[in-house]
Amino acid sequence: MKNSWIIALRELKERMRSKSFIAMAIVGPLLVLGITYMLFALGGKNKTHWNVLITDPNAIMQAKIMAQEDATVSYDFANDYIEIEDFANNPRFQKYDAMLEVNEKILNNKTAFLFYREKPSMQMATRVQYQFERRLEELMIAQFTSLSVSDFRKIKQPINVAMRNVYDPRNEASDMSGWVGFFFGCVILLFIFLFGMTILRSISKEKSNRIVEVLLASVKPRQLMLGKIMGIGIAAFLQFALWILFVGIGLYVMRETLFPDLLDASKMDVVQMTEAMKNQTLQEQMLSAKEYNQFVELIYERIRFGNMLGYFALFLAVGYLFYGTFFAALGAVSGSESDGQQFVIPLIALLFLALYAGHYALNNPTAELTSWFSYIPFTSPVVCMVKLAQGYPEGQGYLIYVSFLILLVSAMLVLWVAGRLYKNGILQFGHRLGFKQLFKWISRA
Amino acid sequence: MLKLEAISKSFYQKLALDEVSLNLEEGEIFGLLGPNGAGKTTLIRIINRIVEQDKGVVRFKNELMNDKHLAQIGYLPEERGLYRTMTVYDHALFLGRLRGMSKNDVNTNFNYWVDKFEIGDWRKKRIEELSKGMAQKVQFICTVLHQPQLLILDEPFSGFDPINVELIQQELKEMKTQGKTIMLSSHNMKSVEEICDRVALIHQSKKILEGRVSQIRESRKDGNFAVRFSGSMIAFVNALWTGFELVDKEVLGDNRFVAYVKMRGENNFQDLLQVLLGQIQIEAAWEVLPSMQEVFIQEINHSNQTQDEK
Repeated sequence: MKNSWIIALRELKERMRSKSFIAMAIVGPLLVLGITYMLFALGGKNKTHWNVLITDPNAIMQAKIMAQEDATVSYDFANDYIEIEDFANNPRFQKYDAMLEVNEKILNNKTAFLFYREKPSMQMATRVQYQFERRLEELMIAQFTSLSVSDFRKIKQPINVAMRNVYDPRNEASDMSGWVGFFFGCVILLFIFLFGMTILRSISKEKSNRIVEVLLASVKPRQLMLGKIMGIGIAAFLQFALWILFVGIGLYVMRETLFPDLLDASKMDVVQMTEAMKNQTLQEQMLSAKEYNQFVELIYERIRFGNMLGYFALFLAVGYLFYGTFFAALGAVSGSESDGQQFVIPLIALLFLALYAGHYALNNPTAELTSWFSYIPFTSPVVCMVKLAQGYPEGQGYLIYVSFLILLVSAMLVLWVAGRLYKNGILQFGHRLGFKQLFKWISRA
Repeated sequence: MLKLEAISKSFYQKLALDEVSLNLEEGEIFGLLGPNGAGKTTLIRIINRIVEQDKGVVRFKNELMNDKHLAQIGYLPEERGLYRTMTVYDHALFLGRLRGMSKNDVNTNFNYWVDKFEIGDWRKKRIEELSKGMAQKVQFICTVLHQPQLLILDEPFSGFDPINVELIQQELKEMKTQGKTIMLSSHNMKSVEEICDRVALIHQSKKILEGRVSQIRESRKDGNFAVRFSGSMIAFVNALWTGFELVDKEVLGDNRFVAYVKMRGENNFQDLLQVLLGQIQIEAAWEVLPSMQEVFIQEINHSNQTQDEK
């Protein structure tokens, strides 16, 4: 193990010094921040007015939602239960774009359903969610606490508004939070691909410059392979940490400059606000800032970063180990650098399958295939992220551990098989790699 | 020091080594010879535990060879390389640590070798900045840095210019006097002749010859003598008459020659010198021993013939 560690440290040092590592640490977070900004900016363009019918048989919301009129959303209240088909087809309801269903359990299970005719833009969705959530907060504060609204908001839990197409209510189409999971899953795939390729290239290079035999005189092939995967893995984690740091700073800067949190009363005193109201231009600025603010709300308060990042780190680590081992074995068995690249295609295909599975899970959270995808180690790193972000159904939270355990055991198994391939292939040079040879090497102890 | 007992190894039904046994004594330089593909590299890899033998036993200092012995072995493979972007010192530190050295020991030994080879300026240079010969020196230093008891060198002289070949040879001789055992595999027969105490010849996965270099050459001499002289070649040939036979000659210029002579009948070296005295001016005379190159070629050809006859 000591030797694996020495190998890992050398590898890490080399990665840290490489220009691509530094470039990736800068370009990656910029890209993430850019996409984050673009998502909102584009979302703002197809702005429409929405009529939302809130069905509230228990009159929980007391027919109130916003203190002031909102120019883009109007709400009506119905104090009885309306069937989805009825809402979809009854001409009486055609003027409504969506129906928000609030039942008596809302204050406990914090879940409401929004049935829409046309899929809302991200901005509209966050706006409704935001306004609805704020109203519920007020109710909860009144019912359960003696806290002030601002105190409550410091300790609040997000409410899940599950969005459904009214014409196809069983299609559990993409909740926004699911997209966040998918994004995290994509980052896992990106890291696996980039650093997997780094493993492949690094091993091919060691083979082609023939240092490998010097190393093998001191280190067992498995130790060498593990050392390389570890070293490059640590580099991947450092890279990831840099991304978090830079994206975190970026989001903070964006919050302070592009999306000032004007709705937060603690941040604006009354005098300033009155001054602002007098000034038309500033008021306009405020309104636009208020729109951004809802997006910021999503980013800063709705995503449970602590939870997501914890699982993300686990799945990234083991997913990387699982896939990285394939890349390492491939590097070891290839006769030349170009030989290895040809065999990378099936691996990339598997990564694409994982990407597809993540997207499938996003659109079909409760489908049986999604469950399968969440257990299959090739796809589970992405699918579990999506499922985690969507929220596992109550009582089934342990399933993420099942997926994780399967992934871990598979990674160990692959490590064992790849160890054989590595051992038998690493000192073979100049051959043309074929499946027959691969099986021969796997079967040889 | 190192004992190989009936080592056999095959790769997918192809025999690479067939019951090869060797015994290396402490403080000797042992040459492992053989044509390409004979099985030398496989044997060396088995000693280094890179490849596992199918049959046979390797003993190191009378113990069954295990991983812990590897720290006492220095190995310079034939196919050797370095990380191109790493500096000379970083290489030494990395490979030294893998051989179990502390950073302090690496520094002390590295400084010793750097001073000895007068390459202090290279310390912070990256490998890609060095010439091939320079990189070879770095590889040599990395191989001996941990002061191994057994040094295994596969083609150590390839890529070196004659001056550096001489330098490495001197180092190996010095290590030998310090009691280190050295096994070297080389196609450079001149070097083998110069520095090896004993050799083994491997051909088609079998050991076909083993012994002291001097004894092997002695046992294969064919009674030829060489005489370097100045004077007339005709006078030389006339003096030989029927008692001796001129086998070969080299013209050195200015009426100087080296003549190779075979004895006939009961004649010996003394008789030869007597018949020549007064006829020509003798500068030197010696018994001709076959070079290791000739022994090598003879043995391989002989082995091939025997194979064909079978």
